[in-house]
Amino acid sequence: MFEKRSTGVLLTLPALVFLLVLFVLPVMVLLTRSLALPEGWGLGNFASFFSSELNRTIFWRTLRLAATVTAACVVLGYITAFGVLSYTKERRGMLTGFVILPLMISPVARTYAWIVVLGRTGFLNAVLTSLGIIDSPLRLLFTETAVFIGLVQLFLPLMVLPLLSALENLPRDVIPAAQLLGASRLMVLFKVILPLTREGLVVGGTLVFTGSVTAYITPAILGGSKVMMLETLLYQRINVANDLTGAAVIAVILVITTLAANKLLRRLATPRQRQEAR
Amino acid sequence: MQFLSRSLLWLVLLFLLGPFVVIVAAGFSAGDTLTFPPQGWSLRWYIKIFTIPEFQHSFVLSVWVGVGATLLALVLGVPVAYAIARYRLPFGETIRTLVSAPLIVPGIIIGLALLRYVVFTLNAPVEITLLLGHTTLLIPYAVRVVSASLDNLRSDIEEAAVLLGRSRLGAFFAVVMPNIRGAILAAFVLSFITSFNQVPVSLFLSGPGVSMLPTQMLWYMEYTYDPSIAALSALLALGAMLMVFLTERLLGLSRYM
Amino acid sequence: MNELLVLDHLTLAYGRGAPAVEGMSLSVKEGELVSFLGPSGCGKSTTMRAIAGLLTPRSGRILLAGEDVTAVPPNKRGVGLVFQSYALFPHLTVFENVAFGLRARKESAAVIRSRVEEMVAAVGLAGFEHRLSTDLSGGQQQRVALARAMAVRPRLLLLDEPLSNLDARLRIEMRAELMRLQREYGITMIYVTHDQGEALALSSRIAVMNRGRIEQLGTPQALYAAPATPFVATFMGFENVFTVDGNQLAAGDGSKLPLVQQPGAGVQALAWRPQAVTLGSGPYSGTVRGASYQGDSVEYLIDSAGGTIKASAAAGSNFIPAGSEVSFDLPLAGAALIPAGAGA
Repeated sequence: MFEKRSTGVLLTLPALVFLLVLFVLPVMVLLTRSLALPEGWGLGNFASFFSSELNRTIFWRTLRLAATVTAACVVLGYITAFGVLSYTKERRGMLTGFVILPLMISPVARTYAWIVVLGRTGFLNAVLTSLGIIDSPLRLLFTETAVFIGLVQLFLPLMVLPLLSALENLPRDVIPAAQLLGASRLMVLFKVILPLTREGLVVGGTLVFTGSVTAYITPAILGGSKVMMLETLLYQRINVANDLTGAAVIAVILVITTLAANKLLRRLATPRQRQEAR
Repeated sequence: MQFLSRSLLWLVLLFLLGPFVVIVAAGFSAGDTLTFPPQGWSLRWYIKIFTIPEFQHSFVLSVWVGVGATLLALVLGVPVAYAIARYRLPFGETIRTLVSAPLIVPGIIIGLALLRYVVFTLNAPVEITLLLGHTTLLIPYAVRVVSASLDNLRSDIEEAAVLLGRSRLGAFFAVVMPNIRGAILAAFVLSFITSFNQVPVSLFLSGPGVSMLPTQMLWYMEYTYDPSIAALSALLALGAMLMVFLTERLLGLSRYM
Repeated sequence: MNELLVLDHLTLAYGRGAPAVEGMSLSVKEGELVSFLGPSGCGKSTTMRAIAGLLTPRSGRILLAGEDVTAVPPNKRGVGLVFQSYALFPHLTVFENVAFGLRARKESAAVIRSRVEEMVAAVGLAGFEHRLSTDLSGGQQQRVALARAMAVRPRLLLLDEPLSNLDARLRIEMRAELMRLQREYGITMIYVTHDQGEALALSSRIAVMNRGRIEQLGTPQALYAAPATPFVATFMGFENVFTVDGNQLAAGDGSKLPLVQQPGAGVQALAWRPQAVTLGSGPYSGTVRGASYQGDSVEYLIDSAGGTIKASAAAGSNFIPAGSEVSFDLPLAGAALIPAGAGA
């Protein structure tokens, strides 16, 4: 009954046409714009992008933040997942709900909350001052740290969910088996749990890393003009300088970085042992 | 050990959810600026946000675009999910990549491309372009959620329905639809929330008097430092919690995530 | 011989629930193979987890070679365990699985290599060292699990229904293999099973467990010849169990048969194997409900005044079709005499 492939193709056609016309075509045209030079085509726009020290700073900051945010989410992700799993099955549903909940809330609202927490007259400074730990309020907003904190809070749930499912699907009894063979907690963690949850780790890591590279709201709100990232720079190229070519260059860098991260991390998902054994 | 890992979990949850408690409190401030502790308590900011015309307009637009784009994405996406689940498609892998690509390409690029080549070049109205842009972004969700549900549904029930005298389309609505209704509703809720919270695609797609609510909030907070955004954020957070709670109760949303 | 393992009034429970094992005491001598035999839920696996250190006893003590190890964590106990699921590390090769415990003990590379090779050869898997454990058949995985547990030379090896995931032919083969390994390495083993055939074939002693207690502890021969409780009798294949009630035999469901010959004082119950029921003559009668041909014998189910009787006759004897009336006897000479006061 499902052997007529033309029916299947027909069903996909409206969506494919829609995506080709309104997604693939415009995005492609925009990206090729980055190769357009006054005297023809070439990579000159990329060279001039990277010749600016400010641009280089922003590029490296974006990668650095994405990397550190991912690392922090890995550590916090395992901590959260272990914590959830230390409860009984019935309780885990509710706790997972607490983790998922922030994903449903507007990122603008989530990020704005940090303004209220980290601001000069905000919650944290008020608490620290009243406890006598500091005399004058700390400058926390519009720093790389603020952006880091905002991104970790924004993306942590995306790391916890795949880790949780990976940990819940660990083969039976491997952890007690390792303990009985004399493994310490650290050895169980590094030799058994980490390798066996690698796929969940890579899925979560990809989401967090690419999400951080392409973050706009967090650097816009918590970084301001002092701590720009690639997307805020792109926005500024258009809105302040009306520099479409410059924006297209950044767009290409963003796409390449996300695709490369996807590819690289997916390769890490295949355990080396398996590659050797085949 | 158990005590330690549970304490750490609650610390992480405090980090994830604590800021919302802080903004709810900040919204109740009586003062004109965001300060802690708030200078007195009042409902004025929670009331004021309803009187700002920009917020009213952008809220209405956000809801319309959210609902419209979600419906459009389902109309386009469900047949794709069905075709992927039931037919051996030529270039199947390419089709799958294409319908999930909008998740990988940064939204700001989609928005900018639409602004340049649809709004500027084709003179399309901004509202329509917003709708189309959000649809692009939501198609992957619709396809993914409905595909997962169709994969768990045996295809022979349709063959049985056809043998019992239904037409192909009639069989789809008689035996397939009722079984994937939960997934479609879940996709609807997820898509609407995604659209409603979306910023990067909408960022460039705005005009005089036309902007989505999150974009409007971003602009507003650049110029004012009063607690109204805190109040609005708190309301949005509470609204999202309510929506998640209701759909979880009614549908078990987490099954489709 | 020395007592290697002593369980001293062990009470075990999961969480705050009712105890799964209550007041259990047992001692195991060096070199013995003791089986915990019982139905699922009898507490045998729970006891084994406690011995391994995976479950902290609610009360009682566990002594290993005279030393109290009740509070010693599993990775310091030196007790090996072969899991029912094998619990092989799917990301590691056979070699690395077997080497895992040696690496945890920080043995030198040379020791690890030679010990792994020895163990892999001992379980008959030489040449498979660099396969992934997931690429092996069930029987081969079982062998890897054994080699892995034995490579660290545990003082005590626990086996949790190790053969239950294998097919019948492999089970018999692995049973022989286990006995050979136990002899060769003189290792003390505790073997958890619900299969009385396995327990009888392998054990120096069997502890029959029921509802969190040991019903009877003894050599296979003792248990087979003289079960101490009706429960043990059933488990040892005495499928027709009657309590002695004055001059009647009472079945579990309340139906009764007259008692023809008094067994003497102090006997609480009588039990017969199907083979001990004689058919064709005798004081009792019933209707054959079912007769199934087993090749060398025929198994009968007989509905009688004393409930369903299970009988077995040699295949050469007269076949009695279902629906026929048949008379039978339960001769006292072929019965197990279960003394009063023992067990439940």
